[in-house]
Formats: sequence, structure tokens, C-alpha cells
Amino acid sequence: MNLQSPQLKLKAGLTIGYGKPIASAAEDIVLGGGTHFLIARNGRGKTTLLRTLSKTLKQVDGAFEARGKTQYLPEDLRFDPEITVSGIFRAMLPSSRFQDSINLATSLELDVRKPYGKLSTGNRRKTHLIMAEHSVDPDKGNILLLDEPFSGLDAYAREIFENIWRSSSEKVLRLVSCHPDYDSMGMPSAIVIQGSGIRHTTGSEQTWSELKQQLN
Amino acid sequence: MRLFRLTTATLFRRKSWVVCAFCVGVLPFLLVQISSGTENPALLKPALAQATWAMTLLTSIFWGFYTAARQGESNARSGLGEYFLTTGVSAGRQLFEMWLAIFTYLAPLPLISAAICTLAASPALPDERSMWLATNIQYAILFLVVMAPLVALACAVASRLGSITGFMASSALAIYGLYGVGYLKLLGDLEGNALAKWVWTSSPHYHFADPTERLRYKLGAIAWDKFPLLLAYFGGIMLVYVALSRLVFRARAAA
Repeated sequence: MNLQSPQLKLKAGLTIGYGKPIASAAEDIVLGGGTHFLIARNGRGKTTLLRTLSKTLKQVDGAFEARGKTQYLPEDLRFDPEITVSGIFRAMLPSSRFQDSINLATSLELDVRKPYGKLSTGNRRKTHLIMAEHSVDPDKGNILLLDEPFSGLDAYAREIFENIWRSSSEKVLRLVSCHPDYDSMGMPSAIVIQGSGIRHTTGSEQTWSELKQQLN
Repeated sequence: MRLFRLTTATLFRRKSWVVCAFCVGVLPFLLVQISSGTENPALLKPALAQATWAMTLLTSIFWGFYTAARQGESNARSGLGEYFLTTGVSAGRQLFEMWLAIFTYLAPLPLISAAICTLAASPALPDERSMWLATNIQYAILFLVVMAPLVALACAVASRLGSITGFMASSALAIYGLYGVGYLKLLGDLEGNALAKWVWTSSPHYHFADPTERLRYKLGAIAWDKFPLLLAYFGGIMLVYVALSRLVFRARAAA
């Protein structure tokens, strides 16, 4: 594997939780570049796992390895209501990526002159995702941990982001927690937290429809 | 320096800095119109100097500490602190970048005050004028050294205990150091009470950094050989508060 490629390795025995164990990996899980979905029922540890992997929460037990520049986008992230979207991009992104971020925002019908506080939930999500995607370092592997990025996002915007994800899958490992809203959504690689177990399931034909049966 | 840029841009957009600039740059000229300086022109310039420095102090406490506290709380509770942590910006670095952004707006205030005092309230006699200039420069420096750690403290305390507590902590310390310490000496029997004496001694004596008495009564600048001692004293307090702020600060709210 290329040294620049991102990788996440959850070692068998990795146990997550806030002091008290919620779930643990039964076997080694190795994730490379590309998009991996993280699915579980509410309160079963999706955010806990993402926080653990982003190193803002200590694991209860076990270990994991992360290779790449990490960003964790919390679900409840918010900026000051007064700052405009373009102000956020100007402050958060390298100047070389600023115009690209504005172009993407325009194609997503996101008004960059609007204050953040006046944006709809979906448009706030777009702002966060554009910021995170344009903060990716093109010269090395990146790990993006995205907590419920699709909440409130329309299908059109989601499609655009999924296209971006496909085109940068070699350099960027994305672990995306979500509750899909349509059964046919493809999930070729998914981390499933079921009961107290964390496991990795793959399959090119794998869809949300099949995986959700396992969560019941 | 992304958090610095974000905080700077946020503060600029909020526009409350305009009120600060007005309070320090314009309001003193209006306030002297309702002072005794209108009846006795000899008092006009000292009144302007007093009003200017008082406005700088009040603005720094009410705007500076409040803003610092608000930023500290917001960074911890909005998920931004956690986001920055995951990108490798440590909690200490986050505190520094927010502090620097707030200080970028706060630092010009004593400089504006010194400029107003020098240009609009300077004594006519050449000797007194050079003394006046030195006094204002000294107090602008002392003001910055005193306010810097209190801004960091407001930000840090607010990140853990909320913005009201953060604001109150720094404001109370500043007001106590400016006025309370003097009252403690007046009201307390310092010689007869070892505890009161210890409290008084270990209190931050910010009144040493308050120029209004010296300017009002033209007492002259602090002797330049004594000035480094004062700087060292406030520098020591700064080190203590900086260490305390770093210990208290947290980049994300408790889970």
C-alpha cells in the first residue's frame, strides 16, 4: 500500500464507551481510502466510535491505528450566527482553495453572503461539508470522520458530495455515520454496531435494505 | 492560525467593536462637556484624560472580558473546539489563538487613549508635556500587561463553567485589584490580622496600573528605574493566570 494512503485499523478488542463499555470490535478491522458507512441504531455508539477514532475520547480498552490527517465533523457543529459562509471559508481554508469552495457552494445553491445563523439546517450542513472537503490535504492521506452529514441535506446536494467522495477516494478515507432514507442506497463497505459488537461488512451489491435487517 | 482568523472575522462581523471605538475615541470628548471642566477650563484637559482612560478600562472589562467569555464558551459548546482538536490544534493553541484574536481588538484601545491624552490633553509646558507623554506610554504598556491574562482567564473559565462565570471571574478580579485592594487596606486591620495582611499582600494590585490619579494631579511618570519592577510584578501575575487559564480551559464540553 502507498505510504500516502490513509488507513484506519481497529484492533480486535477495541472497546468504546464513556467510561462504561458500549461496544467492542471482535476482530481486526482495516479500512483504506474510500467511503465507509457507519450504521447502528440510536444510542449504540456511532458518535462514540467517531470520537474515539478522532482521539477526543479515550477508548475504554484496546487500541487502533490511524494513518492520515484526521478531521472529525461533529453532527452538532455550529459557527457564530453573525459570520457569513464566505467568511467561514476565508478563515478556515487555505487561500488556494477558497475560490473552489465558493464555486462548489454556488453549484449547491448556497448563498455565501448569508450569515450562518440565517441558513437552513441543510445549508449549514453544506457549509460544514464544503469546509471539511476543502481542508483535505492533497499531498497526503486524509481521514474524514463525518457524523450524520446527510441530516437535512437534499438529494441533489448529497449526489454532488458522493461524486466528490468517489473522485477522491484514493487519498481520503471517509467514515460516515448515517441513517439512510432510501433502501437502495449502496453501502459496499459498512461498519455495523450491533448489540455490543463492532464489525465490518463488505460487498459491492450491499445496500441499506439488507444491512438494516441486521440492526433489528 | 485558522481559529485566530475565524475569531477575528467573527468579532469583526459582530460590529460591537464599533461601540468600543466610539466609547474610547469619541465619548470622552462628550463626557468632558458635562464635567466641571466647562466651568473651570484648567480642569478640561485632566477631565479628558481621566474620561479617556476610564472609558478604556470600562470597555476592556465589559466588552473585552465578555467577548472572551463568550468565545470560550462557544468554542467548547459549538463543536468547533472538538473539530480543531481532531485537526491537531491543541487546547493550549486554541486558547492562544482566541486570546490573540480578542487582544487584536483590545490592544489598540490603550494606544488610542494614550494618543488622545497626548494630542488633546497634553499640558502646555514642555517639561510637563514630556512627563505626560512618558506617563501615558507607561500606562498603555501596563494596561496591556494587566488585561492580557485576564482575557485569557475569562475565556478559559467560560469554556468550563459558562460565559457568565467567565466574565464575572475576570471582572471581579480586575475590579478587586483596582479598587477592592485599597478598601481592604482602609477597612481591615492589616497589622493586627495576619490573614487579612496575607490576603492583601497576595492580591493583584492593579491600582498600580491605573493612571488616572497620576494624570489628574500631574504626579509625573513612574521613575524609569522603578518601571521594570512594576512590569516584573504584573508579568508574574500574568504567568500565574496563564498557567491557571491553561489548566482550566477545555476545548469541548463534557460528554
